[in-house]
Amino acid sequence: MSFVDVFLSQQLLFATLVTGALYAIIALGLNLVYGTMRLLNVAHGELVMVGAYVGYWLFSVFGLSPLISTVVVAAFSAIVGVLLYKFLLRDMLVRVDRRERLEANSLLLFFGLSLLIQNIVAWVETATPRAYQYMDHVYRFGDLAMTGNRIIALLVALAICIGVTLFLRWSVFGLALRSVIEQPEAARIVGVNVEQVHIVSLTLGFASAGVAGVLLGMMEQFSPFIGFPLAIAAFIVVILGGLGNILGGFLAALLLGAIETYGVALTSPNLRSVLLYGVFVATLMFLPQGLFAKRVSR
Amino acid sequence: MNVTLKEIAVFVCLILAFAVLPFLAQDYAIGVGLAILMWLALTQSWAVLSSMTGYISLGQVVFYGIGSYVVVVTWQWIPLWLALIMAGAISALFALIVGLPVMRVRGPYFVILTFGLAELVKYSLMAIEAKMGISSRLLFGTPPIETIYWIVLVLAVASTLLLETVHRSPFGHGLRSLRENEEAAETLGVPVARYKLIAFILSAIIPGMVGGIMALRSSYFEATQAFDPMISITVIVMAILGGGDNARGPLFGVIFLVILSELLWTNAPQFYMIILGILLIVFVVKLPNGLLGWYRNYKHRAQGEGS
Repeated sequence: MSFVDVFLSQQLLFATLVTGALYAIIALGLNLVYGTMRLLNVAHGELVMVGAYVGYWLFSVFGLSPLISTVVVAAFSAIVGVLLYKFLLRDMLVRVDRRERLEANSLLLFFGLSLLIQNIVAWVETATPRAYQYMDHVYRFGDLAMTGNRIIALLVALAICIGVTLFLRWSVFGLALRSVIEQPEAARIVGVNVEQVHIVSLTLGFASAGVAGVLLGMMEQFSPFIGFPLAIAAFIVVILGGLGNILGGFLAALLLGAIETYGVALTSPNLRSVLLYGVFVATLMFLPQGLFAKRVSR
Repeated sequence: MNVTLKEIAVFVCLILAFAVLPFLAQDYAIGVGLAILMWLALTQSWAVLSSMTGYISLGQVVFYGIGSYVVVVTWQWIPLWLALIMAGAISALFALIVGLPVMRVRGPYFVILTFGLAELVKYSLMAIEAKMGISSRLLFGTPPIETIYWIVLVLAVASTLLLETVHRSPFGHGLRSLRENEEAAETLGVPVARYKLIAFILSAIIPGMVGGIMALRSSYFEATQAFDPMISITVIVMAILGGGDNARGPLFGVIFLVILSELLWTNAPQFYMIILGILLIVFVVKLPNGLLGWYRNYKHRAQGEGS
């Protein structure tokens, strides 16, 4: 394909949107959990992976449509988030003597969790990649060919992005959450219930990761080991967009999707990772606070 | 913070114990000893930058990988010692070139940037080698394991001494002050940017040489193995598990994790990762200040009861 063809291709634009929207909701969860609690959740990708498997089980055993599974998985992941908070995280977050090592310890804790989850799934489900057919009818609009499941995934992901953005922008709770992201101590002083904010962002973050997993599972094949690359992609999105900056994250996710699809189409699949990390590293070296830095809160 | 005689004695005994191991033990034990020494060298040099300054690097493997590659390409044409020095020097040169822009980036941004940098170097190298038609390299006539073991022992001792020297020097105080508050340190006359760059370079040399010698352990070289991100992650896990910012923390963490891994690996290989995961979680919850913190607490309490 020539350069002009590539840039005008609707097919690539559609692929960019689907990849970008999926990255956006995966990164959204990570951003909420890091932004409000400073927890380095390296197990975030494993949540997505488990979401994909639960969607697969529900579909193949009960014949449940993945669209309904998204709700089930969201509820399930949210409960996991709350339990995790009650039993493991609250102690780390609340006790003053542990706060200093919060990021280091959370890294260790979530790394342990990710080993645990990944290997339990690999043990139960074997390492063989899975996939299932759902709504894979191809729709054509002129030159553009889209499978039904990709259209649905795109719509669901966009709905979540818009919903969360509106929620954070307009609800009182969103205000509290943004205040905790920007100034945790000041938020506490003016009477924000920080613990409640923590729990809600954890449930939101985990639920969106689970939903992302179901969406991913109905489009592509997956294995117990897809979590780590996804977590890395999500971290890159979050960092490029700016920590705690939800809208910036969405834009960064689209950028990442565009680099993946257009970059590979213009060069070669061998260079996919070189392009991805190259753009990421170069950006951070010139803009040490990401693409959309306004104020720094640490 | 003077060195006590007891500390020197313990240190010398440890070195001697490791030094005589190859004469007494089987290949298996030498392998375990080598693993401890290798992780020790990597973790101690990681600590020179990360424990001191609080800039948690997730890219330690990049130096290891660069060193591996240098040695794999050169060692058959030049003497081994020269190849190793080149490995260290080129790692340091790489750190010098990327150091200034990289060290401007802070906090979690730095963590992910260093990870991305290591992956970028790995994939670029793979793309270049693929272009040249090379996917993996077979190595012939690699040195015996004892030779590798002693070289790694020297490197582990060197990185321990390096960390302790930095820890006790005015330079180390400067690094720790910028960990607490960079702006304040700058105001008080610590040349923050220069100190960070020097720490970054210092933490690169020994990993380069370790990577170089470890590349000769197996008889082939693949970039995916020499730049495996799990190496960086393991280094961090060991250092955090150990706790503290001097050389004792990594020592605790490394010995503990290597021996634990060996025990699990030989007794329950199918559940190795699952058990390791559970243990890590339990450790964070029960010993939030790492093994060193726990040990200090324990000693403190024992002394309290004694007096």
